[in-house]
Amino acid sequence: MTAATIPIRIDHEACTECRMCYVVCREIDLNAVYVAPEPLHRFEIDPGRCQYPGCTACLMYCPAPDSIIEVGSGRSLVPPPPDVWTPDRRVARETA
Amino acid sequence: MDQQADSTALAADLRILAEADARRTPMDALLEAAGRGEWDDDRGFRLLGRLWTLKRAMYYVYGAWAMGLNVNEFPPAVAYLFGKQIYDDSTHEMQYVDEILRRGWAPTQRAAFAHPYCAFVPATRLAYFVFALRALTNYRQNIRIAALNLGAKVIELAWLERLGRDWPDPALRALFAGQVAETRSHVLMGRLIVERWVGSAVDEGLARIDHRVVRQNYLFALDEIAAATLGLAEVKGEVSVPKD
Repeated sequence: MTAATIPIRIDHEACTECRMCYVVCREIDLNAVYVAPEPLHRFEIDPGRCQYPGCTACLMYCPAPDSIIEVGSGRSLVPPPPDVWTPDRRVARETA
Repeated sequence: MDQQADSTALAADLRILAEADARRTPMDALLEAAGRGEWDDDRGFRLLGRLWTLKRAMYYVYGAWAMGLNVNEFPPAVAYLFGKQIYDDSTHEMQYVDEILRRGWAPTQRAAFAHPYCAFVPATRLAYFVFALRALTNYRQNIRIAALNLGAKVIELAWLERLGRDWPDPALRALFAGQVAETRSHVLMGRLIVERWVGSAVDEGLARIDHRVVRQNYLFALDEIAAATLGLAEVKGEVSVPKD
């Protein structure tokens, strides 16, 4: 059984493209953050792979306020709000 | 006193020489094969695996070159441009492995890294290109950039433009097309570096020698990549040996 996920996106006005989210996501083998195949090569989040709120690893390492946004609510996730700042959500959890 | 080089003419000449090499490259054979429908996931994985390996290896080259950017030898602009080039090539490296993962050819980056299609193997033409570039660490940055950015990068730009325009698969076409602008910026950076910082006849001579070697090595590496992709050369094991 797969946990319900909530789509999140990168706000390119705020993102500094430091690559921390990409690297963290690669390290835990989710591979949800990817380089968009367009000339600006901005980072995007694949909703088919992202496990937020089951995983919030990228949020914990993102240095740029407001650069990762919850799509539905529009709320900023950087710095992480208290409800996502819990130890058991800092890394990908077993979902199957 | 050292003789002065016509650096503007030199930059133009180096680019023209590389553009002549670039009119047709081994990568065009892949484009033609894909256009005929002679393409499958295995060939796609081989191609992206080899291109990923080549881009990864550039960290090894650039790390050594960065050490050679001696304090006060060049103004900061030279380092700024070099830093951007490292970042761009890193982005392109990431894109290749992104596509490998997205298509499920490897389940994780670790698995891709361990796969023979993505392995860096010393006794290959790809490795020879990389090792020869790394050996340019002993040259000044203006000479190295003249050789790479007005040599191999010009050839890379040409095949990227063609594959980015005509590759049948839309995702791969977008990937190649998306790398064109940054690769073109590297070529133009090479032009600027040569025009402003290759001033002596000695530097011109060195640039011409290294430029010829880098172009030749890059074309050999592309030949190996294309052959491996089409199954004309082994990509497993210690060495890459053409079957003929």
